[in-house]
Amino acid sequence: MQKSDAIIRYIMFFFSLALYFILLPIVLSYSLGYHIDYHNFKIYKMGILSLKSAPSGASVHINGKLRQELTPVRIEELKPDTYSVEVKREGFYPWQKELAIRPNMVTRAENIILFPVLQEMGKIGDYETINFLISDNRNYIYHMTKSGLYRSNMDGTNPKKLSLYSDWPEKILGKKFSRDGGKFLYFNENNIWVVYLVSRDSVKDGELAYVEELLKIPGSIRDVFWHSGSNHIVFVVNKDISVVELGSGGKKNIVTLHKCKKSAEGLYYDENNDSLYFNDSYEGKERLYRIDLREKFFDKLMQRVKKEFDIIYEKR
Amino acid sequence: MRRDERLRRLFEIIPGFFTWTTIVGLSALSVIKPLWVAVFIICFDLYWVIRVGYFTTLLLFAYRRLAVEKKIDWLKRCEDLGKTGLFDCSNIYHAILFPVYKEGPHVLTSSIQALLDSNYRKDRMIVELTIEKRGGSEVWENAKVLQEKYKAFFCDFLITAHPDDLEGEAKTKGANATWGAKVLKEYLDSKKIDYEHVIISCFDADTCAEKEYFGCLAYHYMTNPNRTRSSYQPIPVYNNNIWHARSIARVIELGSSFMQMIETMRLEKFVTFSSHSMSFKTLVDVDYWPVDMISDDSVIYWKCFLYFDGNYSVMPMYVTVSLDIATDKAIIPTIIKQYKQKRRWAWGVENFPYLMMGFMKNENIPLTKKIRRGFHLLESHYTWAVWAIIVTFIAPLPLIFGGGVFRQSMMGYNLPSVAAALFRVTVVTLFICMLISIRLLPPRPKDVKPQRRLVMFTQWLLAPILAACVGSTPAIDAQTRLMLGKYMHFQVTEKIRHGITSN
Repeated sequence: MQKSDAIIRYIMFFFSLALYFILLPIVLSYSLGYHIDYHNFKIYKMGILSLKSAPSGASVHINGKLRQELTPVRIEELKPDTYSVEVKREGFYPWQKELAIRPNMVTRAENIILFPVLQEMGKIGDYETINFLISDNRNYIYHMTKSGLYRSNMDGTNPKKLSLYSDWPEKILGKKFSRDGGKFLYFNENNIWVVYLVSRDSVKDGELAYVEELLKIPGSIRDVFWHSGSNHIVFVVNKDISVVELGSGGKKNIVTLHKCKKSAEGLYYDENNDSLYFNDSYEGKERLYRIDLREKFFDKLMQRVKKEFDIIYEKR
Repeated sequence: MRRDERLRRLFEIIPGFFTWTTIVGLSALSVIKPLWVAVFIICFDLYWVIRVGYFTTLLLFAYRRLAVEKKIDWLKRCEDLGKTGLFDCSNIYHAILFPVYKEGPHVLTSSIQALLDSNYRKDRMIVELTIEKRGGSEVWENAKVLQEKYKAFFCDFLITAHPDDLEGEAKTKGANATWGAKVLKEYLDSKKIDYEHVIISCFDADTCAEKEYFGCLAYHYMTNPNRTRSSYQPIPVYNNNIWHARSIARVIELGSSFMQMIETMRLEKFVTFSSHSMSFKTLVDVDYWPVDMISDDSVIYWKCFLYFDGNYSVMPMYVTVSLDIATDKAIIPTIIKQYKQKRRWAWGVENFPYLMMGFMKNENIPLTKKIRRGFHLLESHYTWAVWAIIVTFIAPLPLIFGGGVFRQSMMGYNLPSVAAALFRVTVVTLFICMLISIRLLPPRPKDVKPQRRLVMFTQWLLAPILAACVGSTPAIDAQTRLMLGKYMHFQVTEKIRHGITSN
């Protein structure tokens, strides 16, 4: 090796060594969140504020002072304190929060959503709507109007009159689509109605839907659920949990599945498993119960009906 | 177990122990004390980036030296020296020893042709093929054909067969080379040629020396006052089949060439590697290459170092010898081949127990020198085994296992961005490697399309991925085997040149 190369190599080696020991405290202190004030020869513990907004490109005000950076932004060199942070963008409502910056820590506000200032609300349809229902696949709106039942796209376009029926109750407690999407129910305190949506092939009297008042009950209806088969409705009236079979004409096939000790609370129907969860008291203690309507539901139903008929027959 | 054996085992365990302690310790601390590990990673990353910068500068210096010295007419310089002491250009013999296992004639022919193409006097060149007997009779027959073909061109062309299973020998290249050197000794004795006038070059079968190699070697030998206490190391470049090798293999092998160029600038750590030369007198004095160790190329240096009480060095020569890239037709076999070759190189860690045992027996080497050389050797193997693991796999661990509090801390937040910013600096190194690799390329063969030159440039984009995948693992593998006493056997790298395969 030439002597000059050796000298350059030694210079490079010691330069690299010096560079390492000069850069190391700088890189480490930066990484750990320390700020060196070279004017006053002081070291501060700092914190970082990370802001991300949707939409991005919003201006940031900290304690009322506008920062130059736009979101998403990482604001460093903030001394530990509580800051009033405001994120603004024209045409959107501002976001404002008091954020505490802790030493050597990162304060993140990375899920900021700026909501647009509404200029005009979108009107869906020109009907005098009493109530409405959204199909489970979120493709259609069903408008219950004074001039009949209409169906439109989600933005109100392509309206279609399905039925002339307009006798909607004033107060509707709930509306639910059946799993097959071919019907929906609605109910108030004493009545359950089912709306059958008719396929184009089986149109009767030119109507694409017809409404049936399924049940009229003296008690107070607490909730109504579709059985997954879309042909039965589970309903809870006062203390009774019952099921009714859909079907035109004649007496409705109703079975009371359970009589609660007190009024059933916290009703939840799991459509996937056809199970009804509810609270009831037993021996003075509140318990969570489940009625399983899955397997052999219809067999059970029929056995029960048959048993009742047998009892009546024996009595005779 | 005898005390010496216990000590040897201890020194065999030390490199692997340090490596595994680092990997396991840092992984465990990433869960328990993520902040400590993050601080360590920042320190290590910065160290690594500055080290890469330092090495890049050395590479540039070495390349400049290579470019300048490539233009020198070494033979003329040698002749201009006239008689220096006992030597002049006409009484220096070059003995070129090719230990052969199964390498075919297509590999050896180009190596011998390179000797013929050199500008040194052929009547001062003794070529010897030392054939492994276990390689089969076909190899011996091929050697005989080559001998007949080339005998007339050189001072002499010897062939000898190294018997299998000699007592005390392992199946290594060193055992074969030692056999060949002993046969050469008998030949020189019969011709009454002074050993000091013979420079032996132990070349891999695929080594093609450049035209000026032997002139340069003779010049350095004649002008070096410590000629018998030096080995002479050319720069190995893997050019023989570079146009037909796979990109991943090219990048790895070029990286090895660059590392060797960098090492030429770090004389105090410089050790012989692959094909190299030395005085035959020295070789006889130290009793030839070790016959039971795989890394014969570097062990011979340490053997001389111990024999001459630490007064032995390696003289870099800025001339190149061209070798084959370990490649294959498909990617996976290429990776496997590269991995095995690098593992064999990493098995050079066996030098550490050898050197330590030698140090314990040698009281003439100053303690500071022992500590320095021992540390360098251990540090180089340790760093090789851990750097890619730390940079690639351990660096993200504090963020993965450090928990919410650490991720909320400034260090947790800054660690990825600081590490990324530091490693962005190394793009400069990548660019320099691209440029130098293009300058080192041999002429494009006619069957290779011109656009392949572009691939030679863009292939360097694979470097970060390859560094992560095969940067450290062969070294960990080798150190673990040594630590557990599961010693490696010599595995010959299969040579593939444009569709022709041989072991």
